[in-house]
Parts: sequence; structure tokens; C-alpha cells
Amino acid sequence: MTFSGINLRQGRRETTALAAFMLLQSVAAIFFVGDAFTDLVTDVGSPHSVFEFFVAFVLIVGIFLAGWQLRLTLERLRHQERALGAARGDLARIIDTQFAEWGLTPAESDVGLLALKGLDLSEIAQLRGAAQGTVRAQLTRIYAKAGVSGRHQFAAWFVEDLLQDGLSAKPQTVPQD
Amino acid sequence: MGAQNNPKSTEGAQSPPDLWDPLVRISHWLIAAAVIANGLINKGGGTIHIWIGWGVLGLLALRFVWGFLGPAEARFSAFLPDPRAAVSHLIDLVRGKPRHYRSHNPAGAIMVYALWACLVVVTGTGLYMTGAKSPITIAEEKAAVAAGDWSVLVKEDDDEGEDKSALGEAAEEVHEIAANLMLVLALIHVAGVAVESRVMKRNLVRPMLVGRNREK
Repeated sequence: MTFSGINLRQGRRETTALAAFMLLQSVAAIFFVGDAFTDLVTDVGSPHSVFEFFVAFVLIVGIFLAGWQLRLTLERLRHQERALGAARGDLARIIDTQFAEWGLTPAESDVGLLALKGLDLSEIAQLRGAAQGTVRAQLTRIYAKAGVSGRHQFAAWFVEDLLQDGLSAKPQTVPQD
Repeated sequence: MGAQNNPKSTEGAQSPPDLWDPLVRISHWLIAAAVIANGLINKGGGTIHIWIGWGVLGLLALRFVWGFLGPAEARFSAFLPDPRAAVSHLIDLVRGKPRHYRSHNPAGAIMVYALWACLVVVTGTGLYMTGAKSPITIAEEKAAVAAGDWSVLVKEDDDEGEDKSALGEAAEEVHEIAANLMLVLALIHVAGVAVESRVMKRNLVRPMLVGRNREK
């Protein structure tokens, strides 16, 4: 999940920079309009004040556009976060279903999940308060039921599923606002 | 009113944002800094005071635009002023079981509007007191006077002769009263955040700073 973390963090940095820039722009616009105001009022229509009016107008339109951009970016970030949450939930469901299909016992399912999360034999044994031998036997049974040769193939089984079509259809339909 | 922020409509599943959007966050702290700078550190009304005041005007204007353009919880529609809901929220708070809201809670919303009103009054009267001259113009005039051109001063004295006594004085009074009121409100605001954070067991300052640490 670090990939998505980096993605979101980068999005946050971008939006923060955009917001900071917008604030600078509005302060600049206020100063400019304030400074040009006397010119605008005293000699309307002179080339100088027409130009100042134009610059002020462009500045303010720029702020609105940046604001719109910022809002769209924020919405996109939220959308991603939601989609990611949905995908995580989906993956967990897929794993559960698959374990049930292989006929893993509850204890084996727990061990299998810990193995998928990347814990090694001694860590799993410690977490479950079981002997390493027990866990090794459980893992062997899991691999046999899944029809895989070992831990790497076991983990790859789910990644492969993910890369093909397991998740692609679902998350797109989930977040809809 | 405030249908979007109604806790019943969503079975209390809503909670305030984990992270306010960057524009709300940055403008919040800049305005807080400006209030401290102008209200406590250089109250005198010198050039820097005026520069900061104008800066606040810009921030405030942008925040109001953002109140229509921003994401849902930053929009005015998410926290319309509703005094009755505010009172009932305060009662809930005293009972120790406040409800969660998606944006500001109703009492907090009233505080937001009160602080904004103070800011508008203070900057408005400040503009009146300086003849709406931008700090740049003021600096230029000062430079002109220093260079020996006193014509600016003469012109100014002419305008001021009559209204300085009445309206000008009133503006100054209002400026000061509103500024002090704002400082008091800011203190209550800070106290409110502290109390609410404790009762709700939820750090309310963090969303205004950097947000929650989601990824360990």
C-alpha cells in the first residue's frame, strides 16, 4: 500500500502548493486593485487605467480558475482514496472466498493470511502462540490444498488474480458521487 | 436549514474532516497570525499594520469565494448559521455526548461567522480610517512629504476637516471595539476547540494542521 500512500501524499503536496499560490494571488490582487483604484476612478478611459483594469480582471479570473482546478484536484484525490478503500475491501473478500474454496480450516486461514502479509515462520508461530513445527505443518497443508509449490507461488496466486481481472471491474462502479 | 450538516440524516456516521482542504488550513493560520500581529503586537496602526490589514482583506475575499467554490465541507451550505442547533449542540456538549458533524459543528459555525463579521468590520473601518489608500500609496505620500512636497498633506487636511471629528472618530472607536471583541472571540474559539477535543476524544487541531497519519 506504500505506492498509494506516496500517490496521495504527492497529491496533498500539490494541492497545498496550489492553495498557497492562490492565497498569494488574492493578496496580490487586493493590493493591485487597491493601488490602481484611484487611477481607475480619477481617470476612467485613459489607456493607463484601461490597462490596469485589464490586469486586475485577468488576475481575478486567474484566481477563480486556480480555485476551480484546486477543487477538481481535491475531488479526484478523495475519489482515489475511496476507490482504494473499496479495492482493499475487495481483495480481502477475494482472499476469504478463495480460502473457503480451498477448504482451509479457520486456523489455516489465519496462518495463510499472515503468510500473505509477509510474516515469516517464527513470527507467525510467535503471534499464534504455537510451535514452529505446527505452523510449518499448517503451511504445508495450505500449499497442498491450494496446489502451489510454496510461499512465493502462494502469494503470487493472489497477485496474479489482481493483475488479470479480479479487481478491475469492481472499483470503478463503487464510488459514484 | 443546514440539511447537509444534519447529523440525523446520516445516522451519525459523519464526522468532521480528517483534514481540511489546504486553502482553508493556510488561510486559517495566516488570518490567525495576522490577528495576533495586528491585534496584539503592533496595534499602533503603522505602515506594517496597514499592509497586514490589506493582506487579511485578500485572504478573506478568497475564503468567501471558496465558500461557494470549495469542497463540500468548506462551503457555506455545509455550515449555515443556525442558532437553535448551536444551543442544542452546546447542551449536548455539557451532557458529554456531542454529535459529530461533517463540517463545523453548529456552535463552531456561529463562531466562524462571528469572527468573519469582526474581520469585515475591522478591515472596513480600517480602510475608512486610511481613506482606502493602499499601503503603496501611503508609502509614496510619505516619501513625497519627506522629499519636501507637502501638497498631499494639504489636500488631506481639507477633506478631513469636517468629518474627521464625527465619522472618523466613530470609525476608530468601532475599529478598536471590533478588534477587541475579535480577540475575545478568538480566545473562546480556542477554548471551544480544546473542550470539544476532550469531550469527543478527537484531536480537532490536527485536521487544521497536517491531518491524521493514515499510513504508518
